[in-house]
Amino acid sequence: MQIQHPTASLIAKVATAQDDITGDGTTSNVLIIGELLKQADLYISEGLHPRIVTEGFEAAKEKALEVLEKVKVTKEMDRETLVDVARTSLRTKVHAELADILTEAVVDAVLAIKKPNEPIDLYMVEIMEMKHKSETETALIKGLVLDHGARHPDMKKRVEDAYILTCNVSLEYEKTEVSSGFFYKNAEEREKLVKAERKFIEDRVNKIIDLKKRVCGDSDKGFIVINQKGIDPFSLDALAKEGIVALRRAKRRNMERLTLACGGIAMNSVDDLTPDCLGHAGLVYEYVLGEEKFTFVEKCDNPRSVTLLIRGPNKHTLTQIKDAVRDGLRAVKNAIEDGCVVAGAGALEVAIADALVKHKPNVKGRAQFGVQAFADALLIIPKVLAQNSGYDPQETLVKIQTEYSESGQLIGVDLNTGEPMMAAAAGVWDNYNVKKQLLHSCTVIASNILLVDEIMRAGMSSLKG
Amino acid sequence: MFEAGGLPRAALTLQLGGYAGCVGAHWWNLQDAALPCSSEAQGQGLCPDVLHRAGRSPSGQETYTPRLILMDLKGGREPTGSRTVAVPGQDALGNLNTLPQEGCLYGDPKRDTSVAWQGNLITHQEDPPTRNLFLQDLSKLQGCLSSEGDLGPRAHALSKDGSPLPTQLHVSQKGRPLEGSVQVWSDYLRVRLHPRSTCMIRQYNYDGESCQLEAFGQGESLLHDPTYQEELEDRLHFYVEECDYLQGFQILCDLDNGFSGVGAKVTELLHDEYSGRGILTWGLTPVIQNTEVSGKDFYRLMNTVLGIVHLSSHSSLFCPLSLSGSLGLRPEAPVTLPYAHYEASLNYHSSAILATALDTLSVPYRLQSSPISMAQLADAFNVSGRKVVTAGAALPFPMAHDQSLPDALCNYQLAVPWALLSSCGEPKDSCCFGQAVVLRGIGKEKQSCNCPPGSQPKSALHACGTGEEVLECYLHAQFPETFSTSYLLQEPCKVSTPYPQFFSALLNTQGFLLDNPPRCSTALESIPVLTAVQSSPVLYSALCRLYKELQRVNLRRCASYFSAGVELSDFQEALHELRTLAQCYETSSVLGESEDEDSD
Repeated sequence: MQIQHPTASLIAKVATAQDDITGDGTTSNVLIIGELLKQADLYISEGLHPRIVTEGFEAAKEKALEVLEKVKVTKEMDRETLVDVARTSLRTKVHAELADILTEAVVDAVLAIKKPNEPIDLYMVEIMEMKHKSETETALIKGLVLDHGARHPDMKKRVEDAYILTCNVSLEYEKTEVSSGFFYKNAEEREKLVKAERKFIEDRVNKIIDLKKRVCGDSDKGFIVINQKGIDPFSLDALAKEGIVALRRAKRRNMERLTLACGGIAMNSVDDLTPDCLGHAGLVYEYVLGEEKFTFVEKCDNPRSVTLLIRGPNKHTLTQIKDAVRDGLRAVKNAIEDGCVVAGAGALEVAIADALVKHKPNVKGRAQFGVQAFADALLIIPKVLAQNSGYDPQETLVKIQTEYSESGQLIGVDLNTGEPMMAAAAGVWDNYNVKKQLLHSCTVIASNILLVDEIMRAGMSSLKG
Repeated sequence: MFEAGGLPRAALTLQLGGYAGCVGAHWWNLQDAALPCSSEAQGQGLCPDVLHRAGRSPSGQETYTPRLILMDLKGGREPTGSRTVAVPGQDALGNLNTLPQEGCLYGDPKRDTSVAWQGNLITHQEDPPTRNLFLQDLSKLQGCLSSEGDLGPRAHALSKDGSPLPTQLHVSQKGRPLEGSVQVWSDYLRVRLHPRSTCMIRQYNYDGESCQLEAFGQGESLLHDPTYQEELEDRLHFYVEECDYLQGFQILCDLDNGFSGVGAKVTELLHDEYSGRGILTWGLTPVIQNTEVSGKDFYRLMNTVLGIVHLSSHSSLFCPLSLSGSLGLRPEAPVTLPYAHYEASLNYHSSAILATALDTLSVPYRLQSSPISMAQLADAFNVSGRKVVTAGAALPFPMAHDQSLPDALCNYQLAVPWALLSSCGEPKDSCCFGQAVVLRGIGKEKQSCNCPPGSQPKSALHACGTGEEVLECYLHAQFPETFSTSYLLQEPCKVSTPYPQFFSALLNTQGFLLDNPPRCSTALESIPVLTAVQSSPVLYSALCRLYKELQRVNLRRCASYFSAGVELSDFQEALHELRTLAQCYETSSVLGESEDEDSD
């Protein structure tokens, strides 16, 4: 990001860090830090020393974390809760109709790759873009989508019930270093060398064909070879004649996903091929879009790697959805790993602010102002929520606060009506660790900025940016 | 039938950086002008399929675009802050300026503008940046062509039925120099690019005091970022997967700024992923003109050295290319070419010269019936770790219009006709370890001397029967102990608009020398070019000079450089490697001299 002002760039860095750690809460970060500084400024302009304000911030943060621990809801992370968490995150990023489609997709994606007692590796969810149709066609594929196809006209475009061989074996004739040089001594010698090397490749191809014959026999099962290295036209031809569909130059990052999705082992040599190395997919088909080809590997038995196929009419939409999906995946992952969630829609902030105001008398001296500033600053979240949905921020805030103190329940903003609502009942859940991280980082950075007396710029600043 | 020679051995080009963009733009223009207009030239000469790919746009139109990935920054001319919401796919910024990032070939004519948003829509549209006269003419021509036959102009090139574009443009552009209106390389790019070609780095930009990509470490860390890494891998995959025979990669990379770090990472990635393919890297530096040594120059020097060390270690062959006299702290006078009076301060000019040299230097692996591939070319030079080579060019090849090739070469018995373009200084003696020489633009009838049979040939050169033999014979006489390969091509280098017109008035339209300047000056159409890639001992002194200069630099003054990712120990190690690299080029003749230099 291109930000020149040192304070702004500091805040931007916190937002980036927040995104790296939790994957969500960047906007809240900027809002809260800004508001903390604004509230602190009221007191500082009246003569309060910034050091005392930061002491208040620190005390308020401790209390806020306490409240957070108290109101968090520990429950079993069933699909319904996860859908709620994902929806809360995604609805702030894309419009509702699309958010609902993405919500289901990301939750199912994470649930598919989740292994008991192991951290979730979101890397196993491939995100594939397709510039085609409208964004609402975005879907979860329980399998893999590769953005290339077979390069031989005779290979089948659609194969059902297929064995999948994933390998990293060169099936293309390369002039090796031994035979290279500016010139060969004579034409025959050259021919001989070429033939010898060609034979080498042919042997490899034949081994694959043998395996195919062994496992498929006379049945009409399909056989797919997905190779990380190249396959030259002669090898493709030989494979096509045997009814094998071959894809070359699969991306490295897809090799691991392939074996997770279809089973089997990625082979680095064709010498010890056994039927055990093969994976299986119920359906493999090719989809052509202009000059781009996509190969869908679907109906896998027990996919441990899935693909989110993002569609959109243009690059801009694709990027937007991609970002949203990333955040959604992170939100679901966070919820599963935390094992708990907190009420969203500004409910948590209202509760914390209320608790802080009550806690204020326990703090000694002028640091109370700092606590007050902190409490006021947190209220920016419900205010902005109300404002963004077209309601009067102050009016909404007052309504929520009243409702909260009367009912004692966690009350947030209903963005459709502007009225208070029970966040938990409405299924608006936020990530616990996002909120925790927010409280920590915002306090630290706001305190740091407050304690700076003067900013001097010198030398070549750009490298530090 | 086992031989791959019949099919084009495809190569992928990567352009990293602004100056690389300048050189690349000229190079693609040169290649575009040279696209065969008819099928007569089949079987010999250059094969455009090596560097280009045929495709099909969504509307079914056939396209023929460079197989290219280019990376550049935003910024360059306009303040980016004033940008409002641009129409998707049309955001043209920075060095791309008027060039849409997605290219205009694959634009969907009926772009799906249906939006799933149900609320009110307000469209803000920014005025497109102003185009210079050349681009206006170009789009006018393309516009009328595509409306006539429903075919884009590039379709002509593909069907090889003659491209009307160059001549018409040439006429309309005559006497209208572009120098004034050219600011960034896209201002003079004539070819159209595939949407997968342009990769813009949004983190950094050219203007503004912050966020410039100015240190090696920044470039390196850029590709640690998974977004850029994945994007690069996806693009590489797109081009590589469709090639039946991939011979390798040619990389044009800026050496003087942070792009040297990007290049280092890119070559490392290619080296790991596509082992066995040739990776030819050209390290480019614009002409350095400042007179006072400032902090920027230390950065430049360090970037250059780190670039040379890393790029050469991961590439099959690395060649620095620059018109600067030296890559060190203190600039030396730029290279002078006897018949090309270029303006050294203009990147538009200097990059044109480098591009012309490149177009000829790369001939060995671009031939239609290519006996060698990139990897083989590199292997021939790589003896005992000599991965760095120098390039030289005679541009145009000085030959009078009524002379034959033996006559022309006879004038250069004492010194070779080419000037070195690798910022290495002048070679002290004409010995080298290996070389590949290309001469193009000499017609069949001029290749050998047509002296009547029986008469005594003037020299050994005149006795040779074919042009190839003449060239071989000449090289053998000049470099008796060197392993040389030579190539002779009839096709010249076509220098049509937007190529700058900086050539001497003494050249005729084919680029041959006249005795007197013609009364009415005619525009140059093509030039003969002679180039040489050499693995030469001159690199010993050049690399040693860089090493010594860096040793004198007080590294503590450049603390900010090391805060950007490069560790001091890594840097020391790179320095050490530079020295090792230099020693590969040590010969007995320079041994004594180096000891003298060490003692002072």
